[in-house]
Amino acid sequence: MQRPIEKPAGTPVEDLDTPALIIDLDRLDANFAAVPGPARAEVWIHGTPAIARRQLTHPMVFGIAVRSISEAEIFAAAGFDNIRILRPLVTDASKRRAEALARSIRLAESAGEQGDRLPLWGVDAMDGAVTVSARVTSVPEQGRAIHDCGQKAVGRDHGDPVIAGRERLRASGGSAEHGIVLCPPDEPPFAVGDWLQLVPADIPTAFALHDFAFGVRDGHLDAVWPISARGAF
Amino acid sequence: MIGMPVEALETPVLLVDMDALEHNIGVIADFYRHRHIRLRPHGKNHKSPGILAMQAAAGGTVGGVCAAKVSEAEVFVDAGAGNVLIANQVVDADKIRRLAMLAGRVDTTVAVDDETQVGKLAAGARSAGTTLSVVIEIDTVMRRAGVRCIEHAVALAQLVVEMPGLRFRGVMSHQVPVVRAPSREQRFAEGGRSIERVVDAKRAIEAAGIPVDMVSTGESWTYDVAATYPEVTEIEGGTYVVMEVPYSYMQEFRLAARVMGRVYARPDARTAIGDVPIEAIGAPNGLPTLEGLDGVRVTGIDHHGVVLSAEKILPLEIGAHFFLLTHQQDVTVNRWDRLVGVREGVVETVFEASARGCVH
Repeated sequence: MQRPIEKPAGTPVEDLDTPALIIDLDRLDANFAAVPGPARAEVWIHGTPAIARRQLTHPMVFGIAVRSISEAEIFAAAGFDNIRILRPLVTDASKRRAEALARSIRLAESAGEQGDRLPLWGVDAMDGAVTVSARVTSVPEQGRAIHDCGQKAVGRDHGDPVIAGRERLRASGGSAEHGIVLCPPDEPPFAVGDWLQLVPADIPTAFALHDFAFGVRDGHLDAVWPISARGAF
Repeated sequence: MIGMPVEALETPVLLVDMDALEHNIGVIADFYRHRHIRLRPHGKNHKSPGILAMQAAAGGTVGGVCAAKVSEAEVFVDAGAGNVLIANQVVDADKIRRLAMLAGRVDTTVAVDDETQVGKLAAGARSAGTTLSVVIEIDTVMRRAGVRCIEHAVALAQLVVEMPGLRFRGVMSHQVPVVRAPSREQRFAEGGRSIERVVDAKRAIEAAGIPVDMVSTGESWTYDVAATYPEVTEIEGGTYVVMEVPYSYMQEFRLAARVMGRVYARPDARTAIGDVPIEAIGAPNGLPTLEGLDGVRVTGIDHHGVVLSAEKILPLEIGAHFFLLTHQQDVTVNRWDRLVGVREGVVETVFEASARGCVH
């Protein structure tokens, strides 16, 4: 379990303990306003009940979709109803768990004539709203900065992150615990302690690496949300 | 879960083969037990106080732990680690406060490569009323953190010695092989060059009149190389514990970690889809390897599962289980809250990965 230093609401985003998974709440609200039609929210992408709850406040969103029985159980325990499990259940044990769950909430059928017809509302719900913060820990040579947000904090399964607002900088061969940024000579150089915001190459991977999501509005901490379904593969 | 046959476990699940785990831990413990050099077990690779306890019990260790992050170190100290090396730089005031408090509990060493870090650490230690031990990180081949020249290492050592709140210990480095799958000769040549660079830095610091009692360099792929240098006091070893496919050139270690999955779809006779999403294993170094099924391999992995493909008929029906081997063990372990220890097909123990996610 992550053990970040806790900060009160109102803390400037740059002062949150790095690396932090940051949700831009204005961007999230704008994305959520743009649901094209009746839909089911794919909450496995973030595994975060507080985000799912905001998605469900939209009048066109009628339920949620998860991947596994474990995720379904976590969202049911968090008070959600009308859940569709996308992955077929193949073991007797998981089928029994689903039957037990179906006694307290509605589980939408995934396939067949009676199957769920609601289209899925997926990763575009989170598009552009998710970054991971980092702090420069070492500037060992000109044009090269090392920061504290490596693969274990931002993911590299789908490629390197880009640096928000400084697209001319390039990530280079990040390690598990360190990130490396290459800075061209005509860019302002880095100093130890500088703060960066990384845009992950893949949003579900970023959520799978964190236990808390930090909701930020106007550059200040607004809410800290547990990523309750993290790791419920 | 303990006592269950492995096939009865719900999937996906991260398994660790107890025979292979004990074997791997035993190889380094047996090699170091009667030598001058010690293993500093790296906690980032297994995240599990239970596995650290096995390493400590096997012997040949420093009695402590190596950690990549301050919060990771705290977990292992809570579980009884007797001393800590943070093989990394710590620069912000909040984290330095935590680090300085940890130094009040056990001997805590942190790496620096820059003058500003030294000043901040000293201020933090003084304010907490503790003493932080410091090593200079030396870059050898990776061009990651670490001083680039020996003169800089000496200058930093002199600065540390003068700083109240800090205690100078020595030097450290970390390197991965440049050659893929090096032979034994290549390991000794390449690994030796890096280690010698660190030893040179140690000698230069001593020549400036500063005693050095810690030379922490070498890792799983150079555990035997490092032992040939009397100046090296410890290696930072972690990959050897559960191992990974690209590291198989280290033939004395066995692959101990597997993610078990189950087939949930058979789109055609040659293809199966299994329930291991990419987040459950990670694939920064390429696709995982399917174990033990001739003619079947992993051809894709995404958020909904792993694709297994056969040249002819794929022999896995819906519900059948399979085992995937990771290509980067620490990335895989970091996705799981526990490692399920299995011996002869039966669950024997469950290791809580208490430091999983400790990136702060």
